[in-house]
Amino acid sequence: MADTHDSSGPRDPAEAGHGSLDRRDFFKGAALGAAGLVVGGTSASAEAPPVQPLPSVELPTLAHDLAYAMPAQASGPPPARAATQGRPASDFMVDVIKKIGFEYAAINPGSTFQGLHESLLNYGNNSAPELLTCLHEEAAVAMAHGYAKAAGKPMLVVVHGTVGLLHSSMALFQAWADRVPVFLIVGHNRNPSGVINRPHSAQDMGLLVRSFVKYDDEATTLERFAESAMRAYRIAVTPPMGPVVITVAAELQESIVNDVPRIPELTIPAPPQGDATAVREAARMLVNAQTPLIQIAKLGRTPKAWDLLIELAEALQAPVDVMGYSSWQKFPSWHPLYGTGGRGYTPDVTLGLEVTDMSVQARAARANGRKTISISAEYLFQGSNIHDFGRYSDVDLAIAADAEDTLPSLIDEVRKQTTAERKSAIQARGTQVAAAHKEIQLNGIRDARHGWDASPVSVPRLVAELSDQIANDDWAIVSGHQFTGDWQRRLLNHDKPYRYNGDCGGFGIGYDSPASVGGALAHKKFGRLSVAIVGDGDLNFSPGVIWTAAHHKIPLLFVVHNNRAYQAEVMIIQRMCGVRGRGNQNAHIGNVITDPNINYAQMAKAYGMYSEGPIENPKDLAGAYQRALAKVRAGEPALIDVISQPR
Amino acid sequence: MIFRSAFVTFAVMAMTVSPFAQEKAGTPAAAPLAAATGNAQRGKVLFETSLRCYACHGFDAQTGSPRLVPMSRAEDVFLAYVRKPATQGMPSFVAQPEADLRDVYAYIRSIPQAAPNADTIPLIKKVLDRRAKAN
Repeated sequence: MADTHDSSGPRDPAEAGHGSLDRRDFFKGAALGAAGLVVGGTSASAEAPPVQPLPSVELPTLAHDLAYAMPAQASGPPPARAATQGRPASDFMVDVIKKIGFEYAAINPGSTFQGLHESLLNYGNNSAPELLTCLHEEAAVAMAHGYAKAAGKPMLVVVHGTVGLLHSSMALFQAWADRVPVFLIVGHNRNPSGVINRPHSAQDMGLLVRSFVKYDDEATTLERFAESAMRAYRIAVTPPMGPVVITVAAELQESIVNDVPRIPELTIPAPPQGDATAVREAARMLVNAQTPLIQIAKLGRTPKAWDLLIELAEALQAPVDVMGYSSWQKFPSWHPLYGTGGRGYTPDVTLGLEVTDMSVQARAARANGRKTISISAEYLFQGSNIHDFGRYSDVDLAIAADAEDTLPSLIDEVRKQTTAERKSAIQARGTQVAAAHKEIQLNGIRDARHGWDASPVSVPRLVAELSDQIANDDWAIVSGHQFTGDWQRRLLNHDKPYRYNGDCGGFGIGYDSPASVGGALAHKKFGRLSVAIVGDGDLNFSPGVIWTAAHHKIPLLFVVHNNRAYQAEVMIIQRMCGVRGRGNQNAHIGNVITDPNINYAQMAKAYGMYSEGPIENPKDLAGAYQRALAKVRAGEPALIDVISQPR
Repeated sequence: MIFRSAFVTFAVMAMTVSPFAQEKAGTPAAAPLAAATGNAQRGKVLFETSLRCYACHGFDAQTGSPRLVPMSRAEDVFLAYVRKPATQGMPSFVAQPEADLRDVYAYIRSIPQAAPNADTIPLIKKVLDRRAKAN
């Protein structure tokens, strides 16, 4: 990728420096090189003077690249270096970026943002933001996605025109579906001058990803850049949050300016809170319910949601269902109210907090005379081409507001409306629910015994051995749960808001590995021990992130759940074969990753990361974890490749 | 691994392990089952290679979902079930020769039918103790 990104070189050939050659010089050099080889070949003669050997084939030079990429230059002196007459406009862009307060900028280089890149390094001193070198733009955005959830603020990503943006598109989609803010700047060759740069121009750059970003704009002036950047950031972090894209022409970045506009202040609007009357009604329904249930999905923009949700759940003594993989799961996994209430607990009132699609719950409730309430910022922003908002949900009470910021008033109302009589009933319910949950959770832990000594290693053994090693650390799981079932929740007490960083959002593979590196980066300054359990299928989408973690010394333990397959698809195709009655003999084709098997420990070593494996005997896990975690605690990343059961 | 439809997503989610599903699968048979008639060794090969039962049920028929040990179905009931499964996630093996299915059944029956008690595994015991102390 880098070879196509950088090949256009500086826009001004005069900047090529003293080593530059024009086409004629290049061929002259090559001829001399060939001559040198001939002379060198006969240098056995004692009288012959020593000759410096030259390479047999002259390597391409910057001048060669320029001759290929840029239009022919007219003869005569090179244009004067305008840089001495003012200030690069991209320096001003760095001022704007610094004012917003980004800690990091994930990049994969490209000539359409060479001006900004240079300013970030030499004007911005590669600090706040510090550049993170990524080996694929999808990895860069996914890192920003994981970072945003762990850090509570967006990371800057800068990518190349068209090609870089298209590479990022999948990860932007995931951030969109996960309602996570990512701030992306894409360079643009508005007036491309060379054969390479022409495809890096577009009539409407943002159009390429407009279906799944919350806002995009092209900054045509510096003033517009400053305002658009502030607006974009504000939109990104206002619920429902999402990725934003600013297009900046290379010509604007590289222009020289004497006067710069004022940088506006960044003002973030207070999130909308639920209407007081509606919140009162919601509280009335919940307090008077016999079997209320709280369901959560994208709840927890900030750590305060964690405490507020515990407060609400305990005030109602209502079970909290963290739902499936799309949830940010901001509730302690070993809390007495964590669960769905136990066997036979049928909710008569279900409260959804930032649950994108409540249509299934609403229909079931209406069919059975039960009630549903939804508090969500989703109502304030819909209409995307991506239909992840699901079907129409005819809930009984819909409140268009940020659920996190509505919780304080809801808790107040619940307390106000809870009579002594209801309080007694609520406490009795809580005792019952807690007992049921405890039994379910203990049974869930006991289930780890099945296949305990099996090889390949069982997933619960893989997680249990890890849980034992990190029990005394301040740990954070920065990968998703999607491919490890719910074993992490069962075997590890998620007792802090940062223990788990959530899944990808869009159910597309390739998120876990890079997002884990981003999450680990956010946890680094707090001294937290970051752990990621990633699938082999996932890691293969962006293995270069191993190098990024090693290069930037981001402490993180990667555990590769290596089942040598796209396991869900193995099952799905088997089922389809069965439905059509054609036998299972071909179901593995296109789904398994064997013959040859991939050695991820060797892969990690090649990228410069400490690694062990492949580990097939579960008895070898503890030692491997110990050694790898020692590296992570010392500030390095490490990887353990575990040959695992399918799931 | 891109989930291409909501239907597929839910199907896969439904197939993942849950404490509730395991309780059900682990219910022991009421009466002792008759001995299996097939070739367990051949059944293991079929289980792990051509039929790939391991994909859902684990290589040892007990780490996936649902667990197949302890086996609660009699041989003929098992054959009827795998040819016409009652659940959407389970593929139908209607076209598979009867002998193959009997061999697979024999393999499943050959696996030790009881997992060790959780309290006898120190690591699990530690997790249980931590959970008990949590609340």
